[in-house]
Amino acid sequence: MTLATPLLDPAPGKDGRPVLSVRDLHITFPSEAGPVQAVRGVGFDLLPGRTLCVVGESGSGKSATALGVMGLLPPSAEVRGQVLLDGQDLVGLDDRALSKIRGKSIGMVFQDPLSALTPIYSVGRLLADALRVHQDLTRRAAWEQAVQLLDLVGIPDPRGRATAFPHEFSGGMRQRVVIALAIANRPAVLVADEPTTALDVTVQAQILDVLRLAQQETGAGLVLITHDLGVVAGHADDVAVMYAGRFVEHAGVTELFRRPTMPYTARLLAAVPTVDGGVRRPLVPIGGEPPALVDLPAGCPFAPRCAVALDACRTAEPESHEVTGHGHVACLRAAEIADGSLDPKGDTPPAGPPAPADRTATATATGEVVLRVEDLVKTFPVTKGAVLKRRIGTLRAVGGVGFALRAGETLALVGESGSGKTTTLMEILRLARPEGGRVEICGTDVAALDSPAAVRRLRRDVQIVMQDPLGALDPRMPVSHSLAEPLRAIGRDRASIRARVRELLALVGLDDTIGDRFPAALSGGQRQRVGIARALATEPRLLALDEPLSALDVSVQAGVINLLTRLKRELGLAYLVVAHDLAVVRYVSDRIAVMYLGHIVETGDTEAIFADPRHPYTRALLSAIPIPDPGRERTRERVVLTGEPPNAARPPRGCVFVDRCPLYREAGEELRRRCRTEPPAQTPVAGDSGHRYACHGV
Amino acid sequence: MVRHVIRKAAGWLLMIVVATNATYFLASWFLDPRSNYRDLRPVRSEDQIDRALAPYHLDPREPLVHRWWDWLTSVTLHFDWGRSPTGVSVNGEIGYRALVSAELVTLATVLSVVIGVALGVYTAARQYGWADRFSQAVSILVFNVPASVAALLVVFVAIWLNQHAGLRFLYVAGENSPGVEGLLPTIADRLLHLILPTASLTLMGYVGYHLTQRSLLLDTLGADFVRTARATGLTRAQAIRRHALRTALIPTAASVAFSVPAVFTGAVITESVFAWNGMGRYFVQTISKNDVHGTVATAAFAATLTAVGAILADIATVFLDPRVRVS
Repeated sequence: MTLATPLLDPAPGKDGRPVLSVRDLHITFPSEAGPVQAVRGVGFDLLPGRTLCVVGESGSGKSATALGVMGLLPPSAEVRGQVLLDGQDLVGLDDRALSKIRGKSIGMVFQDPLSALTPIYSVGRLLADALRVHQDLTRRAAWEQAVQLLDLVGIPDPRGRATAFPHEFSGGMRQRVVIALAIANRPAVLVADEPTTALDVTVQAQILDVLRLAQQETGAGLVLITHDLGVVAGHADDVAVMYAGRFVEHAGVTELFRRPTMPYTARLLAAVPTVDGGVRRPLVPIGGEPPALVDLPAGCPFAPRCAVALDACRTAEPESHEVTGHGHVACLRAAEIADGSLDPKGDTPPAGPPAPADRTATATATGEVVLRVEDLVKTFPVTKGAVLKRRIGTLRAVGGVGFALRAGETLALVGESGSGKTTTLMEILRLARPEGGRVEICGTDVAALDSPAAVRRLRRDVQIVMQDPLGALDPRMPVSHSLAEPLRAIGRDRASIRARVRELLALVGLDDTIGDRFPAALSGGQRQRVGIARALATEPRLLALDEPLSALDVSVQAGVINLLTRLKRELGLAYLVVAHDLAVVRYVSDRIAVMYLGHIVETGDTEAIFADPRHPYTRALLSAIPIPDPGRERTRERVVLTGEPPNAARPPRGCVFVDRCPLYREAGEELRRRCRTEPPAQTPVAGDSGHRYACHGV
Repeated sequence: MVRHVIRKAAGWLLMIVVATNATYFLASWFLDPRSNYRDLRPVRSEDQIDRALAPYHLDPREPLVHRWWDWLTSVTLHFDWGRSPTGVSVNGEIGYRALVSAELVTLATVLSVVIGVALGVYTAARQYGWADRFSQAVSILVFNVPASVAALLVVFVAIWLNQHAGLRFLYVAGENSPGVEGLLPTIADRLLHLILPTASLTLMGYVGYHLTQRSLLLDTLGADFVRTARATGLTRAQAIRRHALRTALIPTAASVAFSVPAVFTGAVITESVFAWNGMGRYFVQTISKNDVHGTVATAAFAATLTAVGAILADIATVFLDPRVRVS
């Protein structure tokens, strides 16, 4: 199969020569099902100092492209095409020849900073080694340069921290070290594979700034791989959208966002939850799932999910061709879409959640209180010593959290990692007397549960949906067994279990045949639906959802959001959602509680929080979320938090947010004293008693 | 780092003391030295037997705690491990045997680790290659052969080799030949006798290291940090050596300590097959002859070997993993 290579004409710059040119790259992996064509004819030019963003969902071939450029694919992978770096073709070079180029001419930043650094070497040693691979330096000189690099990427006290080991750094700090490793030898090309996916939003903003700084320092061309269209809007010069191993659209960032011309791009943009603007627009999920890359059928791989597909789309895969004034698009109807005569989203009705007006009605409806939490406290001992553990401190993971949740209502606990949101959830689900405070579920105080039988009875009313649907399902159990298990546990008979399993599958929009399959044979979205179905098996009244959407791709996410909304309406459930992504939360929850270091700093109706955030932390959190619109994303004023949450074992005496608070820095002497010494009380906003915040400075 | 090792060593010393004393009480409860005298002719009265045992602190009429105290003081003050029910000094029996067995166990452990780890690393780097498949098949086969059978097989192979080489250089019995004199000939003779028992013990021991080290290294080979190391410009072989292997060796180093008791147990069988007068055989003999003091001394010896192995493992861990030095 020969495909025309989509190439942009080199933009007229001061240095028009591309540093990296990829031509017709094909990557194939062997698998038990047959060869997986992960990358099928990708091509691009990268100019110095420019950023190419490659967006796509998991399995679209983005990471394989990056590793193919680096020559880091496993030996079993088959690579064809050209990767030209300074006129030299890297494809087909052996490991020794490639090792002279890697790190020197191309640097790479990886996705998961927690595992990307060798645990047994200090970060200074890692950096010094990376320098000495390509440069003839003495140990001392390399160490000095390593310290300078750590300083450049914003590690405080770089000289002292250089001797520290990776496990002594937080995720954001480790990612800074990985960036320092990548730019150590001033490469001409930087490849960053999802560099911020594993990080909190506030840290993501910092890391992207460091990446931009590193790019400026080295003048390198950057290939930034991401699934986050907001990051693309803020950072890309050019954007390539990948689907099923190909670039289906490749254009300048403004052109792409102004008029997405490939139907997939358009649908992807419509499926992204956003935080900007006063009004929520409904999410339109893309039906179906991305194709498996084994034995691809003829035709456009997106055709089965496309709303505007023609018969011709199903017979031959369209080649990528230039659309005047836009870029390269692999779609037969690109011209119609580009001139505005065809809506690429088709006329699919927004099967989204009910309109906001509808939602307020349910939110204010006085359903029965299903969950009441008052002043909940959970601490962990901080110990030292190998044999005899001495208690040297107390970590207050949750420090006096309270809220109430009614039937038919969704409350979202939002915050960065370490804010205590998951601990709160787990303390509620423990169904035992909490360390401090009260937990009341369906009118029963859990401290008053006197027998295991009573606990089991209450357990039926409270169920959980986990973050990682693959980890949450037993890989050796077919779906129907997983669904039957909770029913067997409560002693239902066999016939009624079988009927209920079918009912549950239908309820979450899955086919009956799914019941016989194993979790490994399901897609991410289907697995999460099974997870939800299992949680619903015992007809609970309260559903705890721990990051239910963060492991899902954008196009699938929207469908699960809509499912959750429908189930809540139909079954009158109450949801307690834990999430770090405020954009997603906006679409699932009626009320939001923002947590920081074990405390709720602001709580209120979702739209009230989005329209009128009061607490500086809420504002920073909202502002850290990138907006998928290049115009607004690049001009808006951002509140960027410095640093990371402090150690919860030594929280500040007054307001927990004081160390990172932008208001505190500008505050007068009197206010500063109060912030430092006096914990702020929950203050209601005038005219909206449900909206409360804890801050002295607002 | 020195502090770390000293602290660990102190812990192991405590472990030896506890294990040895516990063995003393267990042995005193379950072994009955009187039965050694019951079969003697002329038949002796119980009273006579007890009186005969009294000088060795084995008289059952004396309270256990008294006997234990006598034993403990003589061990700690004079390093005298007591006497057997027939009056043979344990120290005299053990001195020579301990040396022989320590030689065997140490050499076999070191060889097992070196061969097993080397094989594990070699095959992990060539996963599913023919060398990997072949050596894995051999290892699994060996793993399933009982120690005594393996030892006998080694003997057969040795005899066959001796016959075909026309030279008697592999000794299948005993730990030395009688009548060898002079320092160098004695050492050479001892080493030759050591070959076969060590070979059969190593055969039993290397398999575990091969298979675990292979899977440990395979885990780290796919780790993100190895990829990062390659991205900075190391070749695959360099990245494996500097980043993957060192990380993967840490768990192996820790496990060596706890394999020493297993090697010692293996030595019991091997020594019997090769007619060695080592601690392994002595252990079996003392238990069957109701020799409380001999059994306890053997247990103390095994505990000491384990402790030495553990301390060496700790030193190796500190060397491999600099994080230990910090915390």
